[in-house]
Order: sequence, then structure tokens, then C-alpha cells
Amino acid sequence: MLFPIVTLFAVAGTILGLGFHRFWTTREEARSSLIYAEIARRFFAWLALRAIQMSRKASSAAGWSSVKSLPLWRAPVLEKWLYVAFYGSFLYLAASGFFFAIFLPRGLFGFPLVGHVMAGGLFAVCLTIIVLFKGRDFITVPRPVSLSLALFDPRKMGITALRVKIWAFWLFVGAGFLLTASALLPMLPLLRTPGQRFMFEFHRYSALASALAGLVFGGLELFAAERPPAA
Amino acid sequence: MSRAGRTSFRAVGGALAAVLVLAAGAPAQTAPPAQNQKHVVWDGNRTLPAHFIPLRDENDEIIVPTETDPMPFSARYTCGPCHDYDKIRSGWHFGAMTAAKSGRPGEPWLEVDPKTGTILPLSYRKWPGSFEPAAVGLTAWDFTLLFGRHLPGAGPAEPPAAEVEAHPEARWSVSGQAEVNCLACHNRSGRQDHSEWAKQVLRENLRWAATAAGGVGEVGGMASRLKETWDVVDGPNLDDHEWAVVPSVKYRTVDFDAKHRYFFDLNYRPADDRCLACHSVAPKDAAMWSADADVHAAAGLKCVDCHRNDLGHAIVRGYEGEAAETGNRTAASFTCRGCHLGEDAEGGKTVAPGRLGAPYPKHTGIPLVHFKRLACTVCHSGPKPREGFTRVRTSRANRLGVYGVATWSTDTPAIIEPVYQKDAAHRIGPHRLVWPAYWAIRSGQDLTPLKPVTVEAAAGDILAPEERIARVLIALSQVMAEDETPLLASGPFVFAPNVDGGLDEAKRDKGKAGEAAFWGIGKGPEVLPLVPDFDPAAADKDPAIETRFQEFLQALGTVADRPGEPAIAVRKTLYRLADGFLDVSEMPAELGQAAGPGWLEQGKFLPLATDFDVRTVTAKAGTEQTLTEEQVGLVLKALAKTAAAGDCVYLSGGRLYQLDENGRLASRQSAAAGPVTWPLAHNVRPAQQSLGWGGCTDCHSGGSDFFFDTIKATGPLLTKSGDKRSAAAFMGLGGLFQRVFGLSFIVRPVFKIVLAICAAVVGSLLFVAALLALGRFAGFLERR
Repeated sequence: MLFPIVTLFAVAGTILGLGFHRFWTTREEARSSLIYAEIARRFFAWLALRAIQMSRKASSAAGWSSVKSLPLWRAPVLEKWLYVAFYGSFLYLAASGFFFAIFLPRGLFGFPLVGHVMAGGLFAVCLTIIVLFKGRDFITVPRPVSLSLALFDPRKMGITALRVKIWAFWLFVGAGFLLTASALLPMLPLLRTPGQRFMFEFHRYSALASALAGLVFGGLELFAAERPPAA
Repeated sequence: MSRAGRTSFRAVGGALAAVLVLAAGAPAQTAPPAQNQKHVVWDGNRTLPAHFIPLRDENDEIIVPTETDPMPFSARYTCGPCHDYDKIRSGWHFGAMTAAKSGRPGEPWLEVDPKTGTILPLSYRKWPGSFEPAAVGLTAWDFTLLFGRHLPGAGPAEPPAAEVEAHPEARWSVSGQAEVNCLACHNRSGRQDHSEWAKQVLRENLRWAATAAGGVGEVGGMASRLKETWDVVDGPNLDDHEWAVVPSVKYRTVDFDAKHRYFFDLNYRPADDRCLACHSVAPKDAAMWSADADVHAAAGLKCVDCHRNDLGHAIVRGYEGEAAETGNRTAASFTCRGCHLGEDAEGGKTVAPGRLGAPYPKHTGIPLVHFKRLACTVCHSGPKPREGFTRVRTSRANRLGVYGVATWSTDTPAIIEPVYQKDAAHRIGPHRLVWPAYWAIRSGQDLTPLKPVTVEAAAGDILAPEERIARVLIALSQVMAEDETPLLASGPFVFAPNVDGGLDEAKRDKGKAGEAAFWGIGKGPEVLPLVPDFDPAAADKDPAIETRFQEFLQALGTVADRPGEPAIAVRKTLYRLADGFLDVSEMPAELGQAAGPGWLEQGKFLPLATDFDVRTVTAKAGTEQTLTEEQVGLVLKALAKTAAAGDCVYLSGGRLYQLDENGRLASRQSAAAGPVTWPLAHNVRPAQQSLGWGGCTDCHSGGSDFFFDTIKATGPLLTKSGDKRSAAAFMGLGGLFQRVFGLSFIVRPVFKIVLAICAAVVGSLLFVAALLALGRFAGFLERR
């Protein structure tokens, strides 16, 4: 029962965080007050307005056009199909895994489970190729830091959207590694029942970390793509 | 004082008491016999006291073994003074009739009647698929005679007064009641003889059965042969020492001391063979030496180490959920999970594991879902699925363990194991299975089974073709030489009479299916015709042949219920008996093509056995079925004439048979005809023989026996329309999914390698990236 609660809160928090990031970086009224309660009021008002606007715009045609507008379709053929397989498998894994974990006490079973296992294999292979060939794009060059109290000042940590996106990428990769390992180990004659039980929970929470990292990465990526270029 | 003396004393005393009671104007009451209520309480010492006990009879009087016609001992009054008899009587083995809770389904009692094709599951407990005996017209008396052979006394064998009074036709006053047979379980003596118990029950010597079976004394006589007016106080029947001999006991005086105390060699914890007398299960036709013991027994545990009880004899059955059902919390530690894992039915760690040294299972590499969805017994108990559905015989259903000249054990009913099925907690577990078969009256959705005797009465001759043919053969056997056997040859089979008045069948080398049947004489491997073809008018005919014909005709004249006078037709000549002499005459024209032996009835020549009889026995020969579809159709028609209300149906092999609007036999699937199942727990196999030891493919493969083996329903009816089910169907699982899932295990080794490579590559890159970030964070890399 703990896992569904943690999942719902974590996903809701991440979406709110991404929304607030957008609100903070795009809306002038966000910085017009120093009172936290006032900022929060304006944020939720904006969020509600956006939600209504988006729901009015939402349609299968709009959704399909959004999918078609994704940059992956413009990638070279090999890269394009790699991303299709990667995103497709990840979406199925997340959908099947979380749906059964949250809404069905029995958990994942039957044909969805077979699909989950197959998609898991595809995801692991795609992730490996992406890390191998694209990981270099997400290596940052941080400055060497000096030992001072500034290390603990969030304003001086240099937290930018780009850096968060990079950390989200590596968190996603790390979670993907743990997912692969926690799927593989129970299949080997190594773990006894307590080990199996631990690995089952570990797989779930790794999946949650992976999904959250994916949300952050995707959210920031989509926001950056939509954002009008600075004048 | 002798029994006769006591009886007269009681009679005088009773009369005196009655007079006094009447004089006082008070209602007459029967005072309960005084009992010593100082029941023993364990003082903590683990030794068992030597049981030198004065035997008491059912009148609570001390038995002197050397007196004339002593009574059998009574457990109520012999054991009762120290051990609360009524409390014991409420235990699992004795209290089915009055138990408030039924518990997990167990093996029902199966009333088997081959002649009517009845296999009727019965139980006083409310278990699915079983009928309450009273609902099918069985009284406690009937039940005791049917199943008393494997009852440990009490229960229906010691019915309440209301039951006795409600059924005056029962012979309780003659047989007495079979009290709790303490010795059946607790006797350590090798003299304890279950076969003797079964024989005494069959002889209706119920009050004597425990004495005889426990080896306490030798019991002679048969209550079943006594008139219903006989009472135990009447004593021996002085007029009959041969047939209607009154049961009597001759005690083993050597086991009594000078104070007339009997030495009981008892076990506090019954030995396994005491339990196995009624709870044995073995594959049909298996050799004794090849049967392995349960792994717990092999490790030195006794049945009662786990199946414990207190004085109330509420035996711990050892299934999950029992503790909550019965309120006996200790029961939770005697389940597989309780003993080996320390878990209760909900998986809580509330039980101390390792009782009796139970090892903690490793279960290395077994996914968790198996522990959620499967009972421990799926992998660890019963025959392995790769051995197929195993036909087994159980003590109670197949009457095992009763030894003697006669063979008591039967092959029917066919009990199959292991059938994996979900239990009440939706957990799959291995079960035993039997398909019921019975005649019933259908009223709406309700089926009321008919007693075999009712069916037999309605069916008349339809169910007795074997008996009719056997009667002819037995009659002919009177005039056969020592090396000759009368036979009926039909198709590829020959039928010969057996000592039980039935027919034994054997394969015949020369016979072919469809070949005309003939009566013959078996002489070694040869089958000679009973009536050879010869010319009766020939001068050189064998002179002995007519003498032989005379003998045959005389023998056939002794057949009971024969349809006419015996005759033999050879070509145009008719042989028959006239005033005891052979009459040879020309065949009347109206007899036409008559040939061979037969019956002359009102100017007609009838064969010795009708076509129906021959057809029926030939069809069933070589099978264990006892009914043909033709017989079922005819019996249904016969029953329809007698049934007051509702349709008559027959259930067998998972299908329901009834007559359609054209009077033809039709069948369909029916839930009522579905198999009756009950969980099995033993024999538990060692870990190396458990499912999964050989890997996932022990069960998960494209053609796994665990999921895809099929079972064809069987029953007394010879038919091609029996129900057929797969193992997956019993489990309530989709066969397609299990096949796809099983097939995925072909590529699973490759899948594991791919995952391992991916994890290694991604892990390595992550490690390098982390090192890189760390180096830059620390400034190491920039300095270079």
C-alpha cells in the first residue's frame, strides 16, 4: 500500500514542480510579490487557467500533431527508430507497471506481464545504445569547487534548467541500470525469498525514480522546445 | 456373578424400583449411569502409566473373563472413568454428525455399487459435492454398515437416541452400538487387527467389534443372522449352534491379572500404521516395495507429531486458516508455512518456526508470485505432474487394508491425483478427484440421488445380464469333468463363472469382434462347443453324446428363474427331458432355425442368454465399466414409470444422461456431474523431488504436463462422451497464456544474457561518468 501512495505523491510533486518552474520562468506576475502566499495563489490561479486552456485544446488530432512535431521524427533513420523503440518501451513499461501496482492488489499478471518482460528487454537494449552513443552529450564540465560556505547556498550552486536536465538524464540512466539489474537478479538462482522480496520492491522504486527522472527530463525538454527564443 | 444372574437381579430390582416410582406417582426416569468424574490431568511427567484396567461392560459392570458368556468391554465405562468419554466423542473422528463447523473439505465417503453404477459422495460435513446421508435416505444404521469398516467407532455407529427411535427397522438392539474404539489408534499391541474390526462390523457385531479387533478377546457368532427380536440379555441361542449363533467373547485370560484387570499395551501417541489403516493412499497397481514414505515419516516424524489433539480429539489437520476457523491458535504452527517459515495464514511472522527441527527452505530463485498463488503442496506433495494424472486407491474409498480369504479392496472408484485447483483462498493446491455417478430425480435444478436398491428394484432384469449368464454357467458346471469349465464365448472374450456367482472374463485368441456367441466347454486352452454339430440320424454318431446332452439338460433344469424348459436343438432334432429321461424328437416346424441349447417356452425356442445379455457383457468385457448406454436408457425408462415427480437422470463421467423427447438417451455437461475434489497434502516429497528443482521448465514450457495434461472423466458408464479437461482448466487459468508464457522460457536464457550485458555496459558507463564528474568536481582532471 505504501508504494501507490509514494508514487502518487512523488508524481504529483514532480508535475507541480515542473509547472512552477514554467510559471516562475515565463510569467511576469511570478516575481511581482515577495510574499510566498501571494506567489502560491498566483501560481495556482495560473495553473488552473492553463489546465482549462489545455483541456479545451486537447483532442486526438492535437495529440497526434504534438507527437508528429516531436524532434525525433527528424532524426536520422537509425536514431529515429532507436528513439521510437526506447520511448515506446518505456511508456508501456511505465503504464503497465504503475497501473497494475496502483490499482490492482494482485499486481502485474497475464499477457500484460509478458509484454512488460519483453518491453523491459527492449528498453534495456535501447538504453544501453543511447548511453553508449548519446551519453557524451550529457557530460557537463563543472568548475572545480572551492571549500566554502557557498557550497551550501542554493543560489550559488549554479542550478539551471540545463543542469537539472543533465542530472535527470543520468538519474534516468542510473535508475534504468537498477531496473535492469533488479529484473535480472531474481531470474537467476541466487536470491532466496527475502532477497526476492527486497528485489521486487527495489525494482518498483527504481521504476518510480526512472519515471520521475523521465518526467523532469521530458518536461524540461518540451518546455525548452516550446519556449520562444530570447530576444 | 454371571450375566444371567445379573440379569435376573436387575430384573427384580427394576421391577421393585418401578413399583416404588409408580407408588409415589412420580414420572419414570432413567438415571444416567454414575461415572467417576475424576478425569486424569497430566501431571507433567512424560511417561505413560501402565494401563492395568478392570474391564467394564456397557452396563458399567466389571467383566470377569472366566465367567460364562462375558460381555464385550465398553470404552465408555472402561476408559471413561479417567478420560472424559463424551469430550473425546466430540472429536474430529467421531463428531461429524454434530460438528458445528465442517472445516476444509476432506475425502468424502463413497458409496459404491457397481451393479447400478453408483459412486455417491457422502459426508455428514457440509463439503461441496457431497450429499448429507440422510438426504439420500441413508440412516445411521445404513451408514455404519456401509462404512463402519473404516470408522473408528462412535459417530453414526453410536447414534443419538432420537435417531435410533426414528428408525426402528435398524437393528441397534441386536448389534449394539460401536462406541469410540480407543484401541483403533492407541493400541500398541501387534494384535490390533483392523481386518477383524471390518469383519465384525459386517457381521453386525458392533458392540463386540472393539474387543475382537483389539485382540482383547476372540469373538464368535454373527448378530446379522439373529432375529431382530434378540437382545443381548437373551443370551445364547440354544436351538442353533450352526447358523444363527449369538456373538460371544472368549477373553485372552493371560492378559488379565488376579484382580481381573486387563493389561492394555497403549500408546499415548498412536503409531503411524494405526493412522494408515484408514488413511493410506497408494497408486493403483503399484508394488509395495516401490512406494516411498512421506519425507516427514522418513525423517522420523510420526503422523501425530503434526496432527495433534488434546483430550477433545479435535485433531489438527494442518491446513492454513485452520487456526482462525477452529480458534486453536496452536494449529497455525503445524501448517507447512507455520513449521518451516514461521508464518501464519496471512503471512505474518507470528509463529515460532523450526518446530521438530523443520528446516527453513531456501527457495533460491523462486519468484514471489509462487508463494502468493500456490500452496506449498503444489511443488512438494503428491505424484509429480510429469508422471501424469495418477490413479490412486485410498483406504476408505477402495476398502484397503482388510485382509483375509476374500478380497475386499476394489479398483473402483477411480480416484485421480494430483489435480491442481484453487481453494477457498484462491490459492492453487493439489487435489484428489473422483467423478460421482448416480441415478437421481431432477426437480428444477435440484437432484435427489436414488438409493441403489431403489434403482435395482425399478430396473428389474436390465442390470443383471451377468447374473443370468453366470446362473446358466454355474448350473452347467455341475456336470463338467474336472478339467472342463463351462464357458460363453462371445467375440474376443470368453466368460466363465467365478466362486462369487459372477463372471470372469478372459481374452480368446481365436475370437473376433462381431463373431456369433456360443456356449462352450473350456478344456485347457481349447474352447469346444457345448453342443457340437453332428447328424443325430447318423448310425456312427458318438453314443456318449446323448448321455452328455441329458446331463446338460438336467443341469439347466436347476437354473433359477429360467424362462422355460431346457432343450437342445441339433439340425432337425430336438432333445429335451421328459420325466427325467432324454426325449429325442423331430423339431417342430415352428421352431424353424433353432440350434444349440435353449429354453422352450410356449412353443418358442429361446436362447440360453438373450442377445441383450450377450451384447451387454461382451461390450463391457475388458473394461471396468459396469453399465452400457443401452442399459442406462432402459433403466431411465423403467425409472420414469416408477418416479412420482421429476425427471430421472443418470450422471457419470462428468455428464448428465437423460431421455430426450423421442425416448433416446442424450447427454450434456452438468455441474452436478462435475468431479468432487479434496485437497491432498501427503506424501510430501523431499526438496530434490519438488517441482522447480529442475528449473522453471518443470512447469513453464510449451507442453508442460503441469498445465496441459488432459484428463478424461471416467465412471461406471461405458461411453465415448465422457468429459475431458486440461490441467489449466482445473486451475481456472487460460491455457493460451500459459502456453505463450511457457514458450517464452525457450528464449529466457538468451534474454538473461542480453540483460546482463546491458546492465554491465550501462553500469560501467555510469561508473566512468560518476568518476569523471567526481574528478572534475574535485578539480583533478583540470590540473592535468
